[in-house]
Amino acid sequence: MLSFDIQYHWQDFQADYQAQLPAGITSILGPSGGGKSTLLSLLGGYLSGQGIIEFSGEKLDHLAPYERPVSMLFQSDNLFPQLNVWDNVAIGMSPTRRLTNEQNSKLKWALEQTQLLGFAQKFPEQLSGGQAQRVAIARVLVRDKPVLLLDEPFSALDPRLRDEMLQLVRSLTHQFNWTTVMVTHAPNDAKTLGGKVMLVEHGQVQALVDVQALSTPESGSIFTQYLGL
Amino acid sequence: MAAFVALLSYASPSDWGRFIDDPYIWRLVRFSFLQASLSALLSMALAIPVASCLYHRRFAGRQTLLNLFAVSMVVPTIVAILGIVVVYGRHGWFTSVFGFAFPLYGLGGILLAHVFFNMPLAVRVILQAYGLIPDSQWRLASQLGLSRWQAFHLIEWSYLKKTLPGLFLLVFMLCFSSFAVVLSLGGGPRSSTLEVAIYQALRFEFDLNKASYLSLLQVAICSTVALAVYKFAPAVRQDVSVYQGQRLPLRSGVLPNVIDGLSLSVVLLWVLPPFIAILSPIVSPLFWHTLQANDLWWSVWHSVRIALPSGLLALVIGLSIAALARSVRWRSRGDWLADKLEQSGNLVLMVPGLVLATGLFLLLRHLGIGLRHAYWIVVWVNAVMALPFVLRAIMPTLYQQEKRYRHLYEQLQIFGWSRLRLEWQQIRTAMAQGLAYAVLLSLGDLGVVALFGSKGLETLPMYLFQLIGSYRVEQGGCVAVVLILLCLALFYGITRLVGGRRAVI
Repeated sequence: MLSFDIQYHWQDFQADYQAQLPAGITSILGPSGGGKSTLLSLLGGYLSGQGIIEFSGEKLDHLAPYERPVSMLFQSDNLFPQLNVWDNVAIGMSPTRRLTNEQNSKLKWALEQTQLLGFAQKFPEQLSGGQAQRVAIARVLVRDKPVLLLDEPFSALDPRLRDEMLQLVRSLTHQFNWTTVMVTHAPNDAKTLGGKVMLVEHGQVQALVDVQALSTPESGSIFTQYLGL
Repeated sequence: MAAFVALLSYASPSDWGRFIDDPYIWRLVRFSFLQASLSALLSMALAIPVASCLYHRRFAGRQTLLNLFAVSMVVPTIVAILGIVVVYGRHGWFTSVFGFAFPLYGLGGILLAHVFFNMPLAVRVILQAYGLIPDSQWRLASQLGLSRWQAFHLIEWSYLKKTLPGLFLLVFMLCFSSFAVVLSLGGGPRSSTLEVAIYQALRFEFDLNKASYLSLLQVAICSTVALAVYKFAPAVRQDVSVYQGQRLPLRSGVLPNVIDGLSLSVVLLWVLPPFIAILSPIVSPLFWHTLQANDLWWSVWHSVRIALPSGLLALVIGLSIAALARSVRWRSRGDWLADKLEQSGNLVLMVPGLVLATGLFLLLRHLGIGLRHAYWIVVWVNAVMALPFVLRAIMPTLYQQEKRYRHLYEQLQIFGWSRLRLEWQQIRTAMAQGLAYAVLLSLGDLGVVALFGSKGLETLPMYLFQLIGSYRVEQGGCVAVVLILLCLALFYGITRLVGGRRAVI
């Protein structure tokens, strides 16, 4: 269970988020500028607000990003351009990139899972957008943190690739019992991922429901407004 | 270039065999090389940890330290030398604290002064390189829990190693052709440099043949070093990242803290005492007495009369080069031309100012224009000498503007003057910085003006140099205060006036 009650002010933007997210996938939907990414950055520790963030009874709000049980994927810039694929994943387990035998085989397994085995020696600039994000996912796999935050990491990919990535995230989440939170612009992404969907608007959590609500929104509900139905 | 050729035309290469065998000249070359390399390496070795510390930490006095660095870059050489002599001289503070005299005259003093000038420059250049590191890399580093050392090794170093060769070259050239420092702290022919030898050949022996040989030697050595360094230097690539975030914590440890503290205190001990020494005469009664001297105010007037036009000239030339370079960059085969244009600005570093001035003087004499125009020669040469610094200051901003808005300007057909007016708000800070550096460099110049030091061109540094030369060091100290105050006033005035209210020093 990931629960939070956080306030954050920046210039004239006021945010106040409260929710409790179960293990599994939660998609965050909402209009641009509504505070979706802000919430994710607060959870990841990249912004500091007031309030409480808890995961399985452990308080996270005063921890630095690297001390939280969290991996986060951003829209872009998830890799070090000066390191090859292997090193970019290895650095997720050990900052010095010196790995034990066990870690080496774990890395291999992660590259297998993300279908990157043939790319280990390539550098990020030689990869396509989808491959680069898969490298980042491989790093999430080896880091083995129970919370995964995704800030629209697949928004620049073409529809088929994007679908594949979403499937990958979904199966990994279930396989490892992660708590995955993903910001997206597309209601269809949420449907593909399944789980729960959260609507964030005006810096507040407006609704947190099962994803089925998107397919059959009750008339007059807050989702019909957002979806423009 | 023409000036250099003019000097060469007075050379008779047949005599050069005589110089080649001269062991004194080879000793000069060896010493020049040694002191320049040592100065550059020492400056960089100190600057890297300090820059890293200044980049990662926010502490009280950090901005003050950065301002101090900005000032120590542009303090006139002769003033800084005076400060160093007060601190490390035979009867200086160092002697009274430690009980023995610092070996100031010779290599020790030269290194002391060169690092004083160039370490702050190196810190600034390195911090600029750090500015190119996308914030997203720090975000990753923080997520992955890298320590300061690991982050340095992985992130900072990969950007630094693109900058360091150019930086080494810059400092090396500045030190190799250093004039005033070696003249006053060299302490005799044992530790003299080529530049000083050129000056002596020109001023005292008026041996144009020897001077042209020496300057050719200097140009040859500097070019060789430049070629060698550029051959190994990877090109600087501007990384573009849209993400801009706040500063995130890195895992810290004992060792980074110790290194930060150690490097900061070394630098403070190096830079601060001479400053205090320079400003200390302000409380003495002699200071007010000196202020009443007529000569002082005449030399202030001469200084300003040379510095302002030559600063403006440098800015105009620099702007022309930069505008041309950026208009061809990122076009087919344009990058090559742009590179050449940028390098042409740095060419000046290879040709010593004295050589430039003499060549120009000979050229003008050849054309029948007499010494009456020494004023314009001084202005022109000072402007050209400041060019590398002006380019360094304005180039990144101009490039950035071009890269972001080129299509917009082309689409809307905004060129030339109207474009400059539109861009002005964005680039005025960089322009002000370039102008300020140029003006201050010219204000502190002692080489060119010393060579042409005729009546009516006695600038403040000249006046100061004469005072020190006639052992009126105390009065010299007071004049130095005036000079440094003038520097600060001009620097502040220019950055405020041209740079606008938002500009910071």
